Amino acid sequence: MKVIALIAVIMTGALLIYGVEDMPGWGDPNSPASSYVSPQYIQEATEKTATPNIVTAVLADYRSYDTMGETVVVFTAAIGCILMLRKKRNGEGG
Amino acid sequence: MADQFAALIIVVPLIASLFVPVFGWWKKKLCYPWVVAVLVIPLISSLSVLNTVMTTGKFSYRLGGWAPPWGIEYMLDHLSAFVLVIVSSISLIVAIYSKKSVEDNLPEKTVPFYTLFLLLVTGLMGIVITGDVFNLFVFLEISALSCYALIAIGEEGAPMATFNYIIIGTIGACFYLLGIGYLYIATGSLNMADLANILPDLYHSKVILVAFAFFTVGLAIKAGLFPLHTWLPDAYCTAPSAVSALIAPLMTKVAAYVMIRLMFTVFQPNFSVNMVPVMPILGWLSVMAIFWGGIKALAQTDLKRMLVYVVVAEVGYIVIGVSVANRMGLTGAILHIMNDAVMMACLFLVVGAILYKTGTREIHQLRHLNKKMPFTMAAFTITALSMCGIPPACGFFSKWYLILGTIEAGQWVWAAALLCSSLINAVLFFRVIECAYLKPMEPAYALNGGETKHEEIQRDEAPLTMLVPIVIMAAGVILLGIFSGKIISSVIQFAVPASF
Amino acid sequence: MLDYVISKYNFWIYIILMMIGLYAMIGKKNLVKKLIGMNVFQSAIILFYVSIGVKAGATVPILSGHGHGHEAIDVASYINPLPHVLMLTAIVVSIATTGIALATLILIYRKYNTLEEDEILKIRKETGA
Repeated sequence: MKVIALIAVIMTGALLIYGVEDMPGWGDPNSPASSYVSPQYIQEATEKTATPNIVTAVLADYRSYDTMGETVVVFTAAIGCILMLRKKRNGEGG
Repeated sequence: MADQFAALIIVVPLIASLFVPVFGWWKKKLCYPWVVAVLVIPLISSLSVLNTVMTTGKFSYRLGGWAPPWGIEYMLDHLSAFVLVIVSSISLIVAIYSKKSVEDNLPEKTVPFYTLFLLLVTGLMGIVITGDVFNLFVFLEISALSCYALIAIGEEGAPMATFNYIIIGTIGACFYLLGIGYLYIATGSLNMADLANILPDLYHSKVILVAFAFFTVGLAIKAGLFPLHTWLPDAYCTAPSAVSALIAPLMTKVAAYVMIRLMFTVFQPNFSVNMVPVMPILGWLSVMAIFWGGIKALAQTDLKRMLVYVVVAEVGYIVIGVSVANRMGLTGAILHIMNDAVMMACLFLVVGAILYKTGTREIHQLRHLNKKMPFTMAAFTITALSMCGIPPACGFFSKWYLILGTIEAGQWVWAAALLCSSLINAVLFFRVIECAYLKPMEPAYALNGGETKHEEIQRDEAPLTMLVPIVIMAAGVILLGIFSGKIISSVIQFAVPASF
Repeated sequence: MLDYVISKYNFWIYIILMMIGLYAMIGKKNLVKKLIGMNVFQSAIILFYVSIGVKAGATVPILSGHGHGHEAIDVASYINPLPHVLMLTAIVVSIATTGIALATLILIYRKYNTLEEDEILKIRKETGA
């Protein structure tokens, strides 16, 4: 098992290192990630959502559907824990 | 109007799941009718969406009104509407079926069970409907988390199987998340339609290649493709009947849907087929999946465990259809997503009913089941014939297209594997049918006293809430087979990318 | 060469962390260690995403000075908010997964009284399950 794990890890690492070559450098303001969608958030968010914190504006307005999913994930985990761990009232526990 | 139906598909089960604890706290008996009633709405909505897509073509729904690359949108085309109908109808059928199984196995846990049931359905439909790669990840996790919890309450050994599933499933989801990160760093966008426009200029980039590799591996884990299927048999086998009847048909199929979506919508078929060597690898892995699943299934004496290995083999079918990458093969794969979901649902429902009635899943103990449970066994037999690929049952048609696809691609070994698999399925299922219909009463058992023997042969059919879903699914197996030509000409041929 | 390594040092760090996490998830025998590996793996991905959002010389994306958008906003002086938003969601997802996994571990411990994988397999073999 240890050998399989090592092989899998090294293969994954090699793949990732292979991909780094075409990555933009650290902190590059002209990388696609920083220049395609996000500038419009920075320019418009305060005006359109009246929120000075842009992360909040994107989280709770532009991508609020993701945030709803996020809260549902927490709800799922809570109900899941109740389902798994709640013991029977009388008699021996599960 | 159809726009609003698209929103209802997710919103209704989601809101309803919040109300299940409320009803459960008030009166536990209300959970079941509430869940069944609620799940009718997504079915109607997705049928209406499919109808809209068929008449007016694909459309999108902007959540919160934000324009696509900035906000999130639903993307509804032939493929997603088709899979939505499958998911919503199977989940409704399984919900109807779940009543006795839950009352019997989990009387204390009805309320959280039904809450998670709805959340699982929400997650699966959210995966199918969304047009945003990160949003897909969120719904992938909703469905995965509810699935973990539902499996963990199964029989002996379930927690351990669940933990393995959590570890491997999280690796799959994290690989998918890494793939999103790589796409984002290269393009700056998360919207599927937008990515499809940007990506062709970047196909030479190593970042995109790595992203594609991580997507493929992550989804292969989620779909349970051969060397990465190790979590699947234990997890599906130890889950409660109602749960395995829901996840066995749907979870792997939805992952296969995401695979098709990413390979042929987000990435162009030209890239996935010609620029990366992934298709032959997937094809050979699925050939191995078909044989491995078939052989392991032959070695089982437990009916449910046998079916679980059949699921592993069936994933191979769908992935073969994807990997031959021509019109026939992909038509077969999409058709098989539907057919396999219906057949697997029917088989797992039957196993659940047998377990409920006789308390056993061992194949050699199923003697005279044809007299005890005639309708259940008839449904089982119909589906078994379909699994072996006998027309007019639906299994024949998807296999026919898959084989035509492999021949068109010149992959004779894959075609041979598909044919062999039909033979393996025939052996598998006739072994069960022989036990149930033809084997004489065991002598030692008959000696136990005439009375018990006499009682044994009397009819003891599964309760109506179990029998009706089983019969509907068995009828579906036949009807979908008869109408498969119509389904292909009106839906699936538009779901296959036009360049094929 | 050295410049190349330094200019992309964020990626090297995340790759190393990810490999550690992945190894622990697959190779370790203790179930809690597997779970810790899972968390390391997820943290690595979170670091990766957050490092995408960085722009050299930029500050946090809070526009306290620009009350109502009357002045022009210089995009280069604020970091990219989107990866942060995505990671807030991913952090919550990873916590929820950890919670479910810990609940499963409690179930396992109640049943077998141990969290070592090989001991559990031995117990299961002995009881014939």
